[in-house]
Amino acid sequence: MDLEADLVVIGGGMAGLIAGTIAAEEGLDTILLRKGQSATAYSSGAIDVIGYLPEASEPISSPEEGLFALSRLYPLHPYSVIGYDDRIESGKIVETIVERTKEAITWLKAHLDGTDAPLMGDFKSNMHPITILGTTKPTCLIQKTMDHGDVQTREDSVLLFIGITGYADFNPSTAAKTYLEDRIADTSPPRIVGHRTVQVMPFGKPYNLSSVELARHLDHEGTIEDLAEQLKGHIEQLGATHLAFPPILGIQNALKNKVKLEELTGTTVFELLGFPPSIPGQRLQRALETIFTKAGGKMLLGHEATSYQKVNDIVKSITATAPRREIKIDANAFVLATGKYIGGGIAGDEKGLRETVFDLGPVTGDYHSAMEIVPSRSTSRLSISPTGQPIQSCGLSVDPRFRPVNDDGIEWAKNLFAAGAVIAGYNYSVEKSGLGVAATSGYSAAKNAIEFIKEVT
Amino acid sequence: MTKSKFDVVVIGGGSTGTAVARDCAMRGLQTLLLERDDIASATVGTCAGMISSGLKYRDEPDMMKICSKEVVYWNHIARHIIAKNPILAPLLDLSDAASDSSYMESYSEHVEERDVPAMMFLTPDASIEIEPMLHPEIIASVYYEEYFIDPFRLCLLQALDARNHGAEIRTYCEVIDFEINDKQEIEGVIFYNRVSGATERVETKLVVNAAGPWAHKVAKSAKDYLPIRLNKGAHVIFDRRIVNIGITVKAMDGRWIYLFPHENTTLLGTTALDTWENPDTLVASFDEIEYLLQSMETVLPSIREARIIRTMTGVRPLVPDWKVPERNVTRGYRIIDHSENDGKKGLISFLGGKLVTCRHMAEAVTDLVCEKLGKDIACSTHEKPLPGNEDDVDIIALSKEYDISLHALERMRARRGTEMVKVLELTKEHPEWKTTICTCEPIIEAEIRLSIREEFPQTLNDLRRRLRLGTGPCQGTFCTYKAASILSDELGLAGDDFLVDILDFRAERWKGIRQSMRGEQLAQEELAQGMYACVGNLDQSDVDYDVKPWEEGF
Repeated sequence: MDLEADLVVIGGGMAGLIAGTIAAEEGLDTILLRKGQSATAYSSGAIDVIGYLPEASEPISSPEEGLFALSRLYPLHPYSVIGYDDRIESGKIVETIVERTKEAITWLKAHLDGTDAPLMGDFKSNMHPITILGTTKPTCLIQKTMDHGDVQTREDSVLLFIGITGYADFNPSTAAKTYLEDRIADTSPPRIVGHRTVQVMPFGKPYNLSSVELARHLDHEGTIEDLAEQLKGHIEQLGATHLAFPPILGIQNALKNKVKLEELTGTTVFELLGFPPSIPGQRLQRALETIFTKAGGKMLLGHEATSYQKVNDIVKSITATAPRREIKIDANAFVLATGKYIGGGIAGDEKGLRETVFDLGPVTGDYHSAMEIVPSRSTSRLSISPTGQPIQSCGLSVDPRFRPVNDDGIEWAKNLFAAGAVIAGYNYSVEKSGLGVAATSGYSAAKNAIEFIKEVT
Repeated sequence: MTKSKFDVVVIGGGSTGTAVARDCAMRGLQTLLLERDDIASATVGTCAGMISSGLKYRDEPDMMKICSKEVVYWNHIARHIIAKNPILAPLLDLSDAASDSSYMESYSEHVEERDVPAMMFLTPDASIEIEPMLHPEIIASVYYEEYFIDPFRLCLLQALDARNHGAEIRTYCEVIDFEINDKQEIEGVIFYNRVSGATERVETKLVVNAAGPWAHKVAKSAKDYLPIRLNKGAHVIFDRRIVNIGITVKAMDGRWIYLFPHENTTLLGTTALDTWENPDTLVASFDEIEYLLQSMETVLPSIREARIIRTMTGVRPLVPDWKVPERNVTRGYRIIDHSENDGKKGLISFLGGKLVTCRHMAEAVTDLVCEKLGKDIACSTHEKPLPGNEDDVDIIALSKEYDISLHALERMRARRGTEMVKVLELTKEHPEWKTTICTCEPIIEAEIRLSIREEFPQTLNDLRRRLRLGTGPCQGTFCTYKAASILSDELGLAGDDFLVDILDFRAERWKGIRQSMRGEQLAQEELAQGMYACVGNLDQSDVDYDVKPWEEGF
């Protein structure tokens, strides 16, 4: 079977779905291939833009400030590259970089309004949401269910961490201890932090509860009322003003559930940032898929790009393989948004790293070839440190139009654009920049692909 | 209440030290065991757990006899933590077959007492039927069987049993000095308590130095001397039982290496390199990993397709024979009575030895200790069972009674035998503790809580040794923070200590993951970084983290 499209997007996480949506909204015939679960669905569901500069230990107060610094210090960073396009005047490099990122993030926030993952926050300041460990992290946008209101500013705020019996992904007592110590050291509210445990039993058993079971259960009518009833005594006892929940407040009704629980308890209710399996990550994934299909994009689930046909410097088609069929898709342009190791865009063994669809040669974070690196030598001795693991910065080197380039700096194909974690030069775990780079590069890759398609057709 | 005077102080909580403490305590001696880290935290914790028939040491017939006898004893006192592995040695050419005939004879001499069949040749077809991954061109294989013990549980059970018999077991207590009088007699031991930060002393006239690769350092702090030969051995670990049975093969230098299914994983080992490094800093090298893979590839061509999860490295404290390769160094042991060589009176050190002979070594040294104390008490360590080996356990009935999966219960049984009922009892009052915390193993919350309450762990690493926490394919990605919360709850730790526990455990797992990183483990590490650095923001945490020995330098 053969298909034709204007644009084929390979990869269905944040970067690919944004690229696909932009193209579909532009009226292009867009097909997106998704192999399986994306790394976006494993994320906390908050949109980091830039939290720390590489190797720095002070958090950045706003994405704006961070991008100003990045654009000067790291011209090859995926946020920075667009500023160094020869079409941009030299005086406008920084401005272009900041504006483009802002545009992409604003676009994302506006588009997710009304979906299952509505966002809040802005480009002017980073927020510091609380995690399930009781730590905080800088991020740009959070889902509205994570809005902790004035808990960190109101002098008399009293915060209760709420755990669920038999749900091991969140331990309210250690989170409460860790968070309170942090606040005492910071001499900021809340000054009273407690923890309580409630019973939510989707299947009548108080053990081995999973996030998905709990979130689905809370979407059912009546369960929020039960929860509020259980919480009343605890709230009165401590005079709690805010309630912190693990991120399981619902899949489709999470925000409604939050509001309802707030009404019933008279407190501010919010979700903490959590680990996979992540309900907010899945909500974000669903929301992105919704806007993509609404814009007219077509999604092929369970399809993996396995080979391609290239004539001179133009990719003509790719072949997508599913368990029972193989499809050749001709298109004018392609976006490669296959992610890094989790997504499967980059793979490696003891001999070196390879890009998995087009067999391109990845580079390290320092832009040396990573085709023959021993992965262990591209790591730090410290497991968790601000240096991070250099292997996590490996990926494809791209030009200012997000086209993967050969080692001579010339694009590998005129119509192949990369987006998201498949790109080299940033370590999202330590920078706190993952979904922000995905969104911005997805946005830019699509704009460039659209421009290319319009030129050739 | 901690006593201040002991008949004997045992230094080292490995297989030998815990066996000595158990023997001394069972003979009624006032016994103290001092371990600078945790039980089974060094050499024994990096071995494959084979309680060997002594096959590799056929040139030492006495050793083979002792080994065989000890296997019989182990099966009597600790069968709940023992499994039998069939093993194939595939042969690729006839010269291998000829050189193996003497092995067959020596192995077969003691098979009856060990309840295993005599060594036999199998045809290629029969071999491949047992293990389809074998190279299609093998000309035959040799079949035999060996027993394997859980080395962590063995040491812990010996320590717990010693405690049951009145011994004091002190972990995280590092011996730093000795009190020695004018007659060169030991009068006391001074040690640093790494948990409290205090320096403590106890009175004793006898010290058994079972410090393994640190034995010479202990002797040195008693201003004495102990020559030793340290030899590094590394393993590569796979994510599951990738073979049906054990495979042994000669490596490119003629040494025997093996691939053994081990608990829920498979071990490929070992290397042998003489070393003068600090054992705490050692990690497997690229060359060691390749040496093992290339050698095993000759009979299992698809070995590289399997998922490697990590490496582990240990140090053998060998008898200091010079001018002989590691494989020819005796695996017999030496008991050095320092008083006989004009050394310190009251100091007795071990050199050499093997896991399988640790009880035998303990018996011999305890005989000597008793003689010095003027006591005549018979050894009973080979007769009395270790905790949990009192009876069989009906897993199927327990699964129905407690509504816990058979798999989880079988893993628990393999650690605790009859003692697992204590874990299950906890779930009657706390059914929520039936929740699985480590899914790779699997381990339920009740077992973690019981272990913290009764098996004196201080860190997540100690829990790993007691429960195999975080040893599966995800290498603790998903259980680290959950188990850290439980440890923090039970020990009443502060929030910062909870975060330090997480960082410490990630550091220890990373030590082994890093060296062999490839394939799926790249994605696994991206996920771990995403959780603990990106979301948890622990890379920016300002808690007091102690840099580990293997993390120092550049």
